[in-house]
Amino acid sequence: MTSFTSRRNVLRTAANGFGAIAAEWLLQREATAAIAPKAKSVIFLFMVGAPSSMDLFDPKPALKKYEGQPLPASFGKVGGQFTDGSNPLLASPWEFKRYGKSGLPVSGLMPHLAECVDDICFVKSFYTESVVHAPAMYQVHTGRILMGYPSMGSWVTYGLGSATDNLPAYVVMPQPEGTPEGGTPCWNSAFLPAVNQGTLLRPGPSPILHLRPPAGVSAERQRRTIDLIQQMNKIDTAPEDNEMSARIASYELAFKMQSAAPEAVDLTKEPEHIRKMYGLDEKRTQDFGTRCLLARRMVERGVRFVQIYSGGGPVSMQWDAHSHLKANHEKMCGLTDQPVAALLKDLKQRGLLDTTLVIWGSEFGRLPTSESGNGRDHNMHGYTMWFAGGGVKGGQSLGETDEFGLRAVGERYHMRDFHATILQLLGLDQHKLWYLHNGRHEKLTDFGGTPIAKVFS
Amino acid sequence: MKPFLVLILCFSLLPAAPRVDPKEEALVAKRRNYWAFRAPERVAIPAGVHPIDHLEPAKRPLLEKRSLLRRLTLDLTGLPPTSLEGNYEQVLDKLMASPRYGERWGQKWLDVVRYADTNGFELDAERPHAWRYRDYVIRSFNANKPYNQFLREQLAGDELFPGNAESLIATGFLRAGPRHVVGGNQDEEQNRQEDLIDMTHAISATFMGMTMNCARCHNHKFDPILQADYYRLQAILASTEFREVQLVDGDAMLSADARQAKHEALLKPLKDQIKEIEKPFREQFRAEKLPTLEPQFRDVLKIDKEKRTEEQKRMAKEAERQLSPTWDEVVALIPPDLKAKRAALRQKMHVIDLDEPDPAEHAYSVFTVDKAQPTHVLKVGDPRLKQQVVEAGLPLVLAPDLGDLSLDPHGRRAALANWLVNPSHPLTARVMVNRIWQFRMGKGIVSTMNDFGALGARPSNLKLLDWLATEFVQSGWDIKHIDRLILTSKAYQQQAVQRRRMDADTIRDSILAVSGMLNLKMYGKPVKTPIEPEIYDIIFTEGEPDNLWPLPKDRSEMYRRTVYVLNRRTIRLPLLMNFDQPDTMSSCPERPTSVHALQGLTMLNSDFMQEQAKAFAARAKGSVDQFYQLALGRLPSAQERGQAKDFFSKGGTAEDFALAMFNRNDFIYLP
Repeated sequence: MTSFTSRRNVLRTAANGFGAIAAEWLLQREATAAIAPKAKSVIFLFMVGAPSSMDLFDPKPALKKYEGQPLPASFGKVGGQFTDGSNPLLASPWEFKRYGKSGLPVSGLMPHLAECVDDICFVKSFYTESVVHAPAMYQVHTGRILMGYPSMGSWVTYGLGSATDNLPAYVVMPQPEGTPEGGTPCWNSAFLPAVNQGTLLRPGPSPILHLRPPAGVSAERQRRTIDLIQQMNKIDTAPEDNEMSARIASYELAFKMQSAAPEAVDLTKEPEHIRKMYGLDEKRTQDFGTRCLLARRMVERGVRFVQIYSGGGPVSMQWDAHSHLKANHEKMCGLTDQPVAALLKDLKQRGLLDTTLVIWGSEFGRLPTSESGNGRDHNMHGYTMWFAGGGVKGGQSLGETDEFGLRAVGERYHMRDFHATILQLLGLDQHKLWYLHNGRHEKLTDFGGTPIAKVFS
Repeated sequence: MKPFLVLILCFSLLPAAPRVDPKEEALVAKRRNYWAFRAPERVAIPAGVHPIDHLEPAKRPLLEKRSLLRRLTLDLTGLPPTSLEGNYEQVLDKLMASPRYGERWGQKWLDVVRYADTNGFELDAERPHAWRYRDYVIRSFNANKPYNQFLREQLAGDELFPGNAESLIATGFLRAGPRHVVGGNQDEEQNRQEDLIDMTHAISATFMGMTMNCARCHNHKFDPILQADYYRLQAILASTEFREVQLVDGDAMLSADARQAKHEALLKPLKDQIKEIEKPFREQFRAEKLPTLEPQFRDVLKIDKEKRTEEQKRMAKEAERQLSPTWDEVVALIPPDLKAKRAALRQKMHVIDLDEPDPAEHAYSVFTVDKAQPTHVLKVGDPRLKQQVVEAGLPLVLAPDLGDLSLDPHGRRAALANWLVNPSHPLTARVMVNRIWQFRMGKGIVSTMNDFGALGARPSNLKLLDWLATEFVQSGWDIKHIDRLILTSKAYQQQAVQRRRMDADTIRDSILAVSGMLNLKMYGKPVKTPIEPEIYDIIFTEGEPDNLWPLPKDRSEMYRRTVYVLNRRTIRLPLLMNFDQPDTMSSCPERPTSVHALQGLTMLNSDFMQEQAKAFAARAKGSVDQFYQLALGRLPSAQERGQAKDFFSKGGTAEDFALAMFNRNDFIYLP
């Protein structure tokens, strides 16, 4: 292989988008699209601090029956990060009803999402390896409880590249009040090329860092500077010098992005009924609705991976209900329920849901026992996440937890199974999507996970 | 040598050591013949010929002198030249003697040893004394410390040179990696295992060019590294614990305490005033919250503290937690005028905090304990799945007797270090000369610098690698000697096939140098530089998000070289990150080069670039000749003069011209 020919190919196809030009070492990657892809893009809705599965999707009547009593001794003493397992069981404050043709149960906390259950595949038996927020967040985002591994979105964009040159392939929208506990490693590219990092995107006139020229510099003036740079650089760029040519191309893309990105986040063009559908007209839902609507617009424009966080910053703005579960979950569901449902419905009505994988999840779940009398501590032994859209068979519920919702039982799924499932839906072979780092073929699923076959339509 | 001969030789070397399991020996014996495990062989060099020119002749014409001096200066100092005059060898001598040489090497070495100034993970706290290791590295390169000494200090300075502050500081190498520090119920065994994993990886990657991490869970699939080897190496570290060791006497400790007390006393009246403002609202919160507690929790609070049962104590603790508001819950209750007053008081505190006295000097170092925990082989690397106990030992493939380390917990690291610097060790010298070669040439002779194993690349020129390795040892492990040999070779001085881009640190430092704002002050605490509001927002805190990034009082500190800029694991500076600064989570032997549009945006629109362009324009006084002279060390060509004239005639500003100069390929790429 002559590396120059290959590099030129990569350059020509602009495989990584966003002005990313692969260097020689990037070609260590094998061909990865071995499986027919179902989804082209992903929207990952991450609930920071961990929602309680047994209060949302996984009803446990036994909790009511045994409320106030300790867990039966046969379950062992299972604590969380702060409780030691001796606390009494806490019943769910909410009633569950069955919805849709599938008749799947959803609690009263999510009346809007309840209308979408026929498009959703709930997996109720995930488990993870840490009971502390940050390591558990790293595991669900990167496959390891340690920092320093590429995030899922980085792997996906590394494997599939981007379908847009005007926008980043991988965007991240944190809660405006603050970053999730895991912080930037949740969207970093670690040892993958920097272009595969998640780019922070925010609503407003300057959605991407350094996108806008400084105050007082007009677009015309900036164009003139870029023209000068291009003239200067063309003098010493030989036609066969791909890296230099790539640099020249990257400045054009940077300029194009200055108009493309603000257009992409401009929600004023959205019709009234769409804005209303996402809850942009109400204070409570406006923020998360805006970010969900932005996610749809990103996917429409070819962005490959969108990550949205509900929760971050002060404890009161997280799902981390160590006490006052009722008030906390009513608040957090109130902020997100309508926007999430609107996103699913909107993608569906535009025919985008078939190619967009929507994932709802968190770092772990919550214990059936109480903390502070009316809250719940962290539970890594069993919890629910769900999939919808691209390649997913909706209207079903897979896996289960024990009668109290403490542990996943029967078919239990590890985070590597979660990742293997997502890669397969995108047509990526988990074993071929590797990167040689310090002498090891690093992969998102490490030793390999088992795709959850029943998820696939 | 024929493989079977080697086999016989190996067995004949084997002592009757009962510690070696014959099954293990059988697994690795055949593999001792692998090139990287054999001692380097030195070929003869004809007299009067540069050894590298003999072993790796240049393939292309030499670069013209002025470009060559630019390349040399950037490579050796990480800064652009101020003049392109002089004899090559004289300039080389001058640059190698410059303190910038150690800074440039320091940054390279810090990449390799995964150094950062903070712990990482959610809290990502600063390590108040870690920077002394960074300074130690820079000093060592500047002093041309023999590599065998450098290695021994970092691995076992505390054991080999007791009482020597510099050697103690050097062991900061062992704990330079990320570490999870957080409250709540902790799995101590898991945490300890993470420390051991990090140290084991750092040692094997940095000094042995071996990636042992595959063997954490199973025998290495490609290399003769056994899972037991991995845990024997961990056992060497089993008696090693992390500790800050004081470097000053008791009087100095006392006066540091006194300085701190004085500082606290300055803050106290402000803190008291804030407390006073908050008090009624904390009480209000408590009063409003109390009725929402579950009745049994309210009842517990009514019981006399002394008379509470264990269960009641637990409940009371949880109840108290609910009744104490978080900062945002307090602030939400305070009316606007008092809120403003409170904010002003906090602001005053932040100003006072800029003068917070330095803590007494400590080494961020390690310590050997008298009793080490037994080390088990762990099934799939899981500390819950303990298998057989292993004793401290060296990798069997390289040490057929496992090194015969003593069982004493003290001196195990010293034994490892001494074994590594044995002149006949097949890896240590090869790995380091390969790093020097890669640093100067852009690509290693073994292109996988941290992996000399089967999965890594084969040497492109084994004779060259081996000659350099033997020369390195014979010269007394003299880094500058090897460096100079490479830099005086035609291979280094020839024209590039593909130009090398400056790394992120060199880009920032070069911009500062050209704008005239660079502050060359060396050493000391890491400095914070301004960050964008967008970056400030991603600093994780559950506390009040003011004063999370205090900038130095002395503004010139913000223009220090990048190696002194705070390297915070979760908060990367966009300019550096976009140009592939490593994430410091694991050893980075070579920085990748990516090209993407975010680089252009940052290089055009960030406040830093705008500020630098302004300063550069002022420095060049609008003269096109000066712009070229300062940035590139040469005058513009006729064509370039034409471009400039055209730009200015259309109304282009000097600042924009300066900005364009910084964005040139030939500014951020080496000739």
